[in-house]
Amino acid sequence: MRNNLLCTLLMLSGLLTHLNAQSPTDALMMPKHQICVLGQYTSSSWDEYWEGANKRSNLNLGTFNASAAMVMANYGITDRLNIMAGLPYIKTTSDSYLQGQQGFQDLSAWLKYRPLAVAIGPGEVRGFVTGGVSTPVSRYVNDLLPLSIGLRCPTASLRAVFNYTFDLGIYATAQAGHTWRGRTSIDRDSYLYNYQLYYTDQVPVPNVFDASARIGFIRERVQTELWIERNACLSGDDIRYNDAPFPTNKMEATVAGWFGKVFVTRQWALHASVSKVLAGRNAGQATTWVAGTTYFFTVGE
Amino acid sequence: MKKLHFSYLPALCMVAVALFTRCSKTVDEPVYEPYPETSLDQSAGNWKTYVLTSGSQFSLPAPENPSSAAYLAEVEDLKRMAATLTNEQKEAAQFWGGNGVLRWHEIAREFTAQYNVPPNYNADGTYPWPDPANPTVYPRFPFCNPPYASRAFALLSVAQYDALVAAWNLKFQHNRKSPAHYDNSIAQLIPANDLPSWPSEDAVVAAASREILKFLFPGEKELIEEKAAEHKNSRLWAGANVQSDLDAGDSLGRKVAERIIAYAKSDRMGQANNQAGYPVLKDDAVARGFTDLWVSQDIPARPPMLPYFGNVKPWNFSDSVKVAIRPAAPPKSGSPEFNTALEELRDMVKNRTAEQWRIASYWADGVGSYTPPGHWNRTACELIFEKEFNEIRSARALALMSTAVQDAGIVCWDTKYYYLLPRPTQADRNITTSTGIPNFPAYTSGHSTFSAAAAEVLSYLFPDHAAEMDSRAKEASNSRIYGCIHYRFDCEVGLESGKKVGSYAVERGKNDGAE
Repeated sequence: MRNNLLCTLLMLSGLLTHLNAQSPTDALMMPKHQICVLGQYTSSSWDEYWEGANKRSNLNLGTFNASAAMVMANYGITDRLNIMAGLPYIKTTSDSYLQGQQGFQDLSAWLKYRPLAVAIGPGEVRGFVTGGVSTPVSRYVNDLLPLSIGLRCPTASLRAVFNYTFDLGIYATAQAGHTWRGRTSIDRDSYLYNYQLYYTDQVPVPNVFDASARIGFIRERVQTELWIERNACLSGDDIRYNDAPFPTNKMEATVAGWFGKVFVTRQWALHASVSKVLAGRNAGQATTWVAGTTYFFTVGE
Repeated sequence: MKKLHFSYLPALCMVAVALFTRCSKTVDEPVYEPYPETSLDQSAGNWKTYVLTSGSQFSLPAPENPSSAAYLAEVEDLKRMAATLTNEQKEAAQFWGGNGVLRWHEIAREFTAQYNVPPNYNADGTYPWPDPANPTVYPRFPFCNPPYASRAFALLSVAQYDALVAAWNLKFQHNRKSPAHYDNSIAQLIPANDLPSWPSEDAVVAAASREILKFLFPGEKELIEEKAAEHKNSRLWAGANVQSDLDAGDSLGRKVAERIIAYAKSDRMGQANNQAGYPVLKDDAVARGFTDLWVSQDIPARPPMLPYFGNVKPWNFSDSVKVAIRPAAPPKSGSPEFNTALEELRDMVKNRTAEQWRIASYWADGVGSYTPPGHWNRTACELIFEKEFNEIRSARALALMSTAVQDAGIVCWDTKYYYLLPRPTQADRNITTSTGIPNFPAYTSGHSTFSAAAAEVLSYLFPDHAAEMDSRAKEASNSRIYGCIHYRFDCEVGLESGKKVGSYAVERGKNDGAE
């Protein structure tokens, strides 16, 4: 009955879609035949962004806001193997004349496996491996960044998570992952990438490396946690000075945040989170608020 | 329990393989391979030129005879080079070997896209303007907006065309063929033809393009010179020219380009950004009864884009014709006709379909793109490649179209600043767009005028594509209504106006000696 959080980072929009179920990036699992269903609302906004490495505001864009409603489910196939899936609905707005966008974004699914759980000293060490995939669920507009709700490309990810939890409830988690991202297609058939003109509608989207560290305290009915996370594209170009962002951009962000959770009953929990982007490249300096609820129950057996 | 989860592994592997296939980042781009030339156009030296008085305006010292010691030595140099070619040199021979005219337009389109970004505002709310004397200092010169781009493509095309007419004139006077004609041990890497190779048409194009692009994009001088050198050398690597073919071509191309640049310096583009004269345009519009004037939708308000571009010298007709064909006045703000057009856009905001989004985005050709003139330049180049035009027909086609497109820009800008009609977003702040709002008045639509002029000329040059060109122009025009940055009447009148402008270039084409 413990939960943690995940940031599926839509860095360009500055939108941090925090998932607060047993997630691909945390150290928690659902027991066999248990399922949890989560619903949450995220609001993220910024009025400054990094154009390449230079931080700026843009009067023509004003304040950018992205909000997301997300559902996610996690099922314990066994005590050591979980399957998860999630889908967000995202809405963007700004002060510009450009029309804000909204729609269902990408459907994600993960398998999470726990090969390691050993009592050492006054606590337990656990290790996890997760593999995930995602695919866009509609042909949303992806060439209107930062207002686009996503980049509309398929992804596959692989990550490892290590956790040490003291018997008293204090814990530390470290995780790192690599996300492969494929091509996306745009409605134009030419675009600039690295100052070179490409004559195609196919656009390569850079891969991403991410890592995070968390420390927290967890008991039967409460959990509180501080975290820091780094996301960085492994290739890509910078936003040209005074031009719009593009899916090829090398986006990076370092984010710090707090997460808390309480169980109202044995089966029902509420959670909240707040975070801020501390440093970035081709990304908005977003402040993000999350509120959500999770319901736990057993199926079969 | 272990059994259970291991049984998922094969399925997981299959999903992973499927995903890696989808996650491929490879993108496919068109490849332009060399093709044999279908026609020599022996009389092209007499075709009508734009800026030169005629194809015989320049002469060159006569070439050495193919049996001369000097020529034979050049052929020996060529053979030595052929024996030690690197793969890169062979690739360059193929790259430039198809149609050098088109390659230079590709380069021009890339520069256009790179330089098509409006300067950012200063801290005090003013805007910097590029300084041609310091082209690499921000904001880089030029800001290659659509009018600038239309003129750039026109000047490049005219320089290539006039230089090739002059080259053809000399080619058939002296009739010195390619080295393979005189020495059958030379194996050309690209298709051979009977065109006299002195002066080299490739060197002419390389030199003319180099000089014009250096004039238009002075910050790119080094890259341009590198490309021109590669273009010329590729002819040696291909075994298609000797050095003296290239030297003569370079000399001729440079001389012609000097005349085109002299023309460009006096075409009144220098006064196109006359911001001090803008109040006069506003007063004149008010005097004509247009009291609800356009204002910049940028924050802070940006000075209007090239308010006197409408005063630049047209290519295919006189200034007085320009005034005579200026579109009639648009509906005034608040009139029933105006309100009907505005209402259509209010509905569009609510009901824009996915297909309308696609079209608006496809034709947006906004910041960071090669602009609408570049879009049509690309279309023309693709048609030329499809029809395997030789260099001089390619240059003629591009000159006819590009001059029409610049003329369209001139007529359209003249109209925009004559009536100063507000953009839809100024008329109703609740209208949201699918693309950036151009920083100049609405009436008439630039996209519509550029596109109709281009389509008119391309339909004449490529009659079997006429219906397609017409429908592309209409789609480009409609895209601005879908994007909610133009009223329907901006677009419809723009199409009519562009078609009329294009007809002057078609008329020229019918009488330039090439038919």
